[in-house]
Amino acid sequence: MALVRIEALHKHFGSNHVLRGIDLDIEEGQVIALIGRSGSGKSTLLRTINGLESFDDGSIEVDGEHIRPQGTDLRALRMKVGMIFQQFNLFPHLTAGQNVMLATRIVRKMGDDAARDLAKSMLLKVGLQEKFDAYPDQLSGGQQQRVAIARALAMQPRVLLCDEITSALDPELVNEVLAVVKNLAAEGMTLIMVTHEMRFAREVGDKLVFMYQGRIHESGDPQTLFANPQTPELAGFIGSIN
Amino acid sequence: MAYAFDFSAVLEYREALLAGTGRTLMLTGIGAVAGLVLGTAGAVSRAWRLAPFDRIFAVYVELIRNTPFLVQLFFIFFGLPSLGVQMDEWQAAILAVVINLGAYSTEIIRAGIEATPRGQIEAAQSLAMTRRQIFFHVVLPPALAKVWPAICSQVVIVMLGTSVCSQIAAEELTFAANFIQSRNFRAFETYFVVTAMYFLLAVGVRQVLALTGQRLLGRRSK
Ligand SMILES: Nc1ncnc2c1ncn2[C@@H]1O[C@H](COP(=O)(O)OP(=O)(O)OP(=O)(O)O)[C@@H](O)[C@H]1O
Ligand SMILES: [Mg+2]
Repeated sequence: MALVRIEALHKHFGSNHVLRGIDLDIEEGQVIALIGRSGSGKSTLLRTINGLESFDDGSIEVDGEHIRPQGTDLRALRMKVGMIFQQFNLFPHLTAGQNVMLATRIVRKMGDDAARDLAKSMLLKVGLQEKFDAYPDQLSGGQQQRVAIARALAMQPRVLLCDEITSALDPELVNEVLAVVKNLAAEGMTLIMVTHEMRFAREVGDKLVFMYQGRIHESGDPQTLFANPQTPELAGFIGSIN
Repeated sequence: MAYAFDFSAVLEYREALLAGTGRTLMLTGIGAVAGLVLGTAGAVSRAWRLAPFDRIFAVYVELIRNTPFLVQLFFIFFGLPSLGVQMDEWQAAILAVVINLGAYSTEIIRAGIEATPRGQIEAAQSLAMTRRQIFFHVVLPPALAKVWPAICSQVVIVMLGTSVCSQIAAEELTFAANFIQSRNFRAFETYFVVTAMYFLLAVGVRQVLALTGQRLLGRRSK
């Protein structure tokens, strides 16, 4: 049974038909690399999976949790789905440690000590144990993004959504974030990543999903697809990236 | 002939001055706390379009911002009894101050709330926080920190404005001044002293608010 099951998913923004029938099954522990041109619907697809966007038709199921098209109570779902954003989105008035602790304390109702211990171990996991008391504006972009990862992990999600999480970083900071993600993948975390890092997609991804005009145009084993794209659109896309 | 200044004629009444100062501060304190709570409620209602409160607060804000404080005070003190709402001068003064600051701070705080980056709210949603949790833990603290200087100014304006409460015989500082100069006939000295006292109060209140902001809202509210 797939951990994430998406069937015949449709989404409009006004008259703009953005998702045009997406079918996608994601197994536990799989790393999905979602690629495609700007505007092809990658972010929108990702955001429907934790209810940040509603959808018009079709169904999404995460670990037995059904999302209704016009989702009302999405909290049970969001306990299972973590998300990391291009812009980090740390809470600026809280330290790194407090950023990680906030939701575990008020959503999962952990005690202060337990939440603090958990936050410390999450920051350790992303290599930032010594930054517990630093505020976001005292951290580099790469460090902020790693805190954001720790914050999402502290909620112990079943699946982690990553939307171009290295695109806002200076090139020399990309690798420290990718290294953390690579570790998560190795530990068996289920990941759905929108990424422009093709090398990373090829090395770490279990499955490549190429979106084109709101549809999954081609998908399969990353190595095979990169070496041998079946459609001219994917071939063109790979060509334009390199 | 030169006017002979006699400030001792004012200092004789220092007890009345101190009592008036205390009441001015009390009025300002209660007004500030309750007014900011009201303003926060108004701000979130408007910023997040919480029907029907957003409409109600919109009308309220326009009403208060486009009418004189003195008239608002008279309306509450002299007008409302006709509807059977009786208040003593202090209740009326406090209510007027709260309503007035509530309206102005609704707009000030709303600006802070609307400046919250969308992504921070989405991050909080992704962490399964409720709307209420997001508001109090994620949106409000940075919003208040951002607009705190404007809030401080507005509270000082309101404090200075409380002087018109003397008109309904609330015995605050201006009332004390009027009373004293009606006794000693030393208008210059009396209003000179009271002017200086208002000035010091304003500086002091601003200082206290700035420190409060730093304590409550962290290092960002300078
Ligand atoms: N909130 C919105 N309101 C209206 N239209 C939107 C909204 N968000 C996205 N769209 C539109 O939906 C389409 C898909 O956008 P989406 O952000 O999913 O693309 P993407 O594949 O993530 O692109 P990029 O690589 O640039 O991030 C685009 O045409 C975009 O203009
Ligand atoms: Mg996108």
